[in-house]
Formats: sequence, structure tokens, C-alpha cells
Amino acid sequence: MIFSPTSLSAAEDALRHEVRAWLAKTLPTDFRPGLGLGGRHDPEFSRALAAQGWVGMSIPEEYGGAGATTVERFVVVEELLAAGAPITAHWIAERQTAPALLRFGTEEQRRWFLPRIAAGECFFSLGMSEPDAGSDLASVKTTAVREDDGWRVSGTKVWTTNAHLNHFFVVLCRTSTADDRHAGLSQLIVDLSSPGVSVSPIPLIDGELHVNEVVLDDVYVPDDRVLGDIGQGWTQVTAELAHERSGPDRYCSVIGLLHSYLAEIGVPDDRSAAAFGRIAARLWSIRQLSLAVARSLDEGEAPATEAALVKDVGTIFEQQTVETIREIAALEIDPEGSMLQQLLAECVMNAPSWTLRGGTTEILRGIAAKALTRGGAR
Amino acid sequence: MSEIDELRDAVADVLRARSTAEALEAAERDGWAPDVWSALAEGGFATVAVPESAGGSGGSVAQACAVLEACGAASAPVPVAETGLLAGRLLASAGLSVPEGPVTTVASPGVSFSDGVLAGAVDRVPWGRSASLALVAGSSVVVVAPGSGVVTPGRNIAGEPRDHVDLTGVRPLESAPVGPDAVEDLRRRGALSRAALIAGAARAVLDLTVRYTGEREQFGRPVAKFPAVAAHLVQIAEQAEIAAMAARSAAEGAGEEGEPAALDVAAAFSVASDAAGAVATAAHQATGAMGMTREFGLGVLTRRLWSWRDEWGGGAAWAAELGRSLAAGGADAFWPTISRGLVASS
Repeated sequence: MIFSPTSLSAAEDALRHEVRAWLAKTLPTDFRPGLGLGGRHDPEFSRALAAQGWVGMSIPEEYGGAGATTVERFVVVEELLAAGAPITAHWIAERQTAPALLRFGTEEQRRWFLPRIAAGECFFSLGMSEPDAGSDLASVKTTAVREDDGWRVSGTKVWTTNAHLNHFFVVLCRTSTADDRHAGLSQLIVDLSSPGVSVSPIPLIDGELHVNEVVLDDVYVPDDRVLGDIGQGWTQVTAELAHERSGPDRYCSVIGLLHSYLAEIGVPDDRSAAAFGRIAARLWSIRQLSLAVARSLDEGEAPATEAALVKDVGTIFEQQTVETIREIAALEIDPEGSMLQQLLAECVMNAPSWTLRGGTTEILRGIAAKALTRGGAR
Repeated sequence: MSEIDELRDAVADVLRARSTAEALEAAERDGWAPDVWSALAEGGFATVAVPESAGGSGGSVAQACAVLEACGAASAPVPVAETGLLAGRLLASAGLSVPEGPVTTVASPGVSFSDGVLAGAVDRVPWGRSASLALVAGSSVVVVAPGSGVVTPGRNIAGEPRDHVDLTGVRPLESAPVGPDAVEDLRRRGALSRAALIAGAARAVLDLTVRYTGEREQFGRPVAKFPAVAAHLVQIAEQAEIAAMAARSAAEGAGEEGEPAALDVAAAFSVASDAAGAVATAAHQATGAMGMTREFGLGVLTRRLWSWRDEWGGGAAWAAELGRSLAAGGADAFWPTISRGLVASS
């Protein structure tokens, strides 16, 4: 543990400015930013971004990507999230599914899915959580039963973001009744338009309808849609989670809020100056940390513990930021008010989810504590 | 391992056998730790980032901060930050050489210098009783011999000397005109030095707390196995990590020969200063009553964390400066400024 700061090369820095300029030109002037990875679902934007070569960047060129490094992808994604760009359509496919396909997918799957993901034409959701399997993910009950040349899947998945808009989801399910509850798990790529798939919204506290329950009733999945090896689902899923926890999505949810606070209020007194400065100082430090983790991934390391630490620090920072800005803005929040008020309203109602999604604070601290106490952290 | 990691380890090796519990008790009693000082000085570690032409060891601000991290981790009770990164660089910027032995400095807005004589007093001078004193007085940098003027001993929470020195009537050994940025640069290096010391001490607190909670058993198992205690360990690890990243980023930003940037230092010290309190609180909670004893050794670190966070203006003042500066830049410059980061020059 204890990372050293990393510098961007001139080329990486130039890429940042290229993305920033493109966003300034592409997003409308009255654009209402999304909260980081909570941006809108906009297939048209995803395709335009893909045309720039900025979707699925780390996919190798032979599969239609740019063969970019983790840091190059970091630079692009950070700019998109900071701007609150509408990236949700391709987000999971590019962040999570593409790397999983590259690591565990068959050559045929890579050739079919990856060029479509990189083109911004193939969108994925996650099929992990269930009504009785949240933090204890290994207790999933969705079951796939063997058929001649495929599987029949039945069960219920929840918190499936944008399942009503996306094309596929990767379902973690039980393919054997092995005593070892980790050993019987597998990942299947399920077409969300398959017969037997029914998607219904789970309304959230702010009235939004982008999160769903997906019921699978005897859904047929052919053998060539098995991701990785049967029985290896748990290993594959944990690798995914460790790899993806430390990215800029863990501290960028509040950039739009900070921008609109400065635009509308500024720092009228010492108290607000100090409060805003503390937020900025944290943001500045956390992004250096997150960038250092990205660089270490490029250097072949797998800093799972540090990734968990970054996510924990980042998401707690985001929540504290909302509270601090609310305090120094000192206003009653009108959800239809100014940009600051709209964003504050959305932040206040969504902030609790930041320390839940992608592994709760408690789970992350458990991972980190294990590493610390067995001397596993560097 | 990078050169900077090697340097940090080399200093840690020097201090391991010398900055012991007994040496720290003696230093607190006597106000000076001659063995610790001479070991560091002989290795050239006290004047890193001071050009060789001014009698220093050469090197960058980042290298000096690596030395300070090791000093912080070992609670080294000597003015390494003051001698090299602070006073040494100040003197070098005015073309003066670093005097032999420990040197100290402090912000000195109230000291004037005319006709070869100083007037005014400075407060909270680290090791003011034992060290040569380098100051900006008016538009000059001056050096006075150890013990000059009227020294009234004082200390900080950690028992490190922080003395009041009345310089009225004192004739400096040397003086030279100084550039307009010298005071501001010194202030920034002062805050950065505290961030680096805090980062080092925080890391040492983590090691100590992890070790103790892994050994101490209650209810039949090590207390670290209880999630509520483990959460404290994780908090300490996070704060140590972020403080180190902040201090190192600000130090690296100075490049090979330059000075650290205002925004970077403000951010680093704000983060480190907050981390200092959070780390101390979590460590004392995790180590229970044992951690509160003099014998246990946590106190020498936490008392330093509680002291250093308030020096050179304290974290809150630097945060306010950062906040005002960002607000003055306007909303559209906010993210570009924050994300500017380090960019390789080649």
C-alpha cells in the first residue's frame, strides 16, 4: 500500500483536452449534467462517442476497440463523468462486460460482441443481485438446468438498471447443486428480448424508473452464450468487481454540483471558503489516488485492496460533499429550482445509493480489513 | 523500487536504532536529541533539496519530503524539515550558505532589519534554543547564531521545542537581499513539510495499530477480528493513503528544481491536517486504554499529529485559501484546475 503519484504523459494529457473540447461542442449549452455514472440513457450519444473511438477503448483493435491502456480509458471516462454526460446506455457493456469477455469469453463471443460494444450498439445490464442475494452474492438462487445444447434459466434478478432499454445481461446463476455454494455458480449471457424474460420497474424514492426486477421463466440460453467456464462464475464475478471498483465513477458524481455551486453562489465568507476548499482538496487527492491505481493496473498489478479503499474513500467523499454544499448553500431545495437546486435535490435523494452500489461500504471495509490484518496490503 | 522509496527506506534505517522510545523521552526532557541529529546530518539527510552550491545535499522537494515521511514515521525529534527544506532553501534562494548544525525558521512578519540590527520577536520557533535561525526580515534574509536574543522556551503538544525568540538588538551573522516570493514560498514549503511529516506518522500509526489489534485478544479472539474494530483499521489505512498521496503529489509537482504550487500545497495540507485527527481518533479507539499509556508508544505519534496539523497556519486556513482561489477562478475553471494533475514534461 501507499501509492506514488503518477504523471500523465503529454499524449495522455492531450487526449483529456480532446475529449473536453468534444464534449463542449457536443453537449447542449443548457445541458443538465447527470450525477457521474447516473447520467441519462442516450443511445445516440453513445454511438457518437463510439464514432470518436471512445467507447470500449481498452478492447483490442482486432475486436473493434482502440487497444488503449487503463490510464487512457481513465482519462476519457473521467472527463465524461465530470461533465455528467449521458453515458448510461453503454456504461456497463464497456466497463464491465467487455473486460469480462476479453478474459473469459470464447473467440466467437469476442468476435460477435466486442465490435458491437465498441460501436455503441450493444448495451448490457448486470444480472447479479436477487431478492435474497445482496451483499451475500453467493446465495443466488436463479438456476440453469441443462438441456441438449444449452440451458433453461429460471429465477428473479433485481436492481437491474435499464434492463428495459438494454440488449443483454450477464446472469450469475446456479448450474449445479454442489455443496460448496461457490462452486456451483456460472455466468450466462441472456438476451433480454428472449421469450420468458419479463422486466418490470422498481420505483425508487425519487420516483425514477430505471431500476428493474427481471423475472426469468424457463428462458433458453444456448451453449455458446455461456461466459467462461461452467462452475467458475464466482471466480469470474469477483475478478470483475475487484478490477472495476477504483475508477473515477467513485468520485465524479458531485462535479456538476460543485460547478453549479460556484456558478450560483461562490464563497461569500471564510466558512464557505474553507468548506469548499476542503472538498476540493479531497477531490484533488482522491483522483490522484484513483489514477495511481489505474497506472498500477497497466503495470500488471492487481491492487484489489487499494481499489476497495479508493471506492470507500471516494463514495464517502461524495456523500460528505452533498451535505457540505447543502449547508453552505443554505437554501430550501426546490427540485424544480435553479440548476444548483435541481442537482442538490437529485444528489440528496441518490447519495445513499453511492455507498451501496458496487459493494457496500461494510463489504468493502471487510475486504480491506482482511488484507490489512493478514499483511496482504502492500 | 524507485529512488525516492530507497531514500525513504534509508532514512528509516538510520532512525530505527536511534529514534527509540528512550531517545524520545530524553529529547522531550532535554529539548534536544544529539545522537538522532548527528546521524541524520552525517548522512546528509537534513539538507536534501538544498543545492550543493549552498552547502546542501542537493535533490528535489519530493526527495526532501520522502526524508520527512521517514522522520514523521519515526517521530524524529529534530529540525530536519526546518534545516533543509525550509531554512536551507530560503538561504540558498538568497545566495547564502547553510550554517553548520541545525537551522530553523518560521514566518516572521513582525521582524524588521535596519542598520545591521534586528527588531521584533518571533514565536513558536521549532528548536529555537538549539538551532541557527534564518528569517526574512524586511527585504532581507538574515541568519543569527543559536541562542541569540532572548529565548523563552515553549513546546507543542508533542513536547517538541517551540520557542519564543526576541531578536531586538541582535546583529545577524549574515544577511542578503531576498526576492519578493521568498516569504510565500517558505510558507508553502512549511505547510508541505507538515503534510509529509503527517503522512509518515499516519503510516506508522497504522502499522502499530494493526499489530496491536492482531495480538490483543478479547472474547477469545484478536480484537481486529471484530468488524467494528476492523473498520477503524480501514479508516486509518485510508487516511494514511490519502494523506501520503496528497503530500507526494504536491511535492512531485515542484519538479526537479522548482517550488511546489499554491493549489497543490493547500490541498495537500488540508487533506493531511484532517487525516491527522481522523487517524489519531481511530487509532486510540482501536487500541483502547493501552494506547493511552506513555509506555505503548502510540502517543509519541498521535501527539505529533495533533501538533503538526495546526502549524504553518493549520489546515482550515489553507482550505479557505484554496476555496477562495477556486471561486475566484470561476465555475468553468473548477474541474480543469482540479484535474490538471501532474503531466510529464517530456
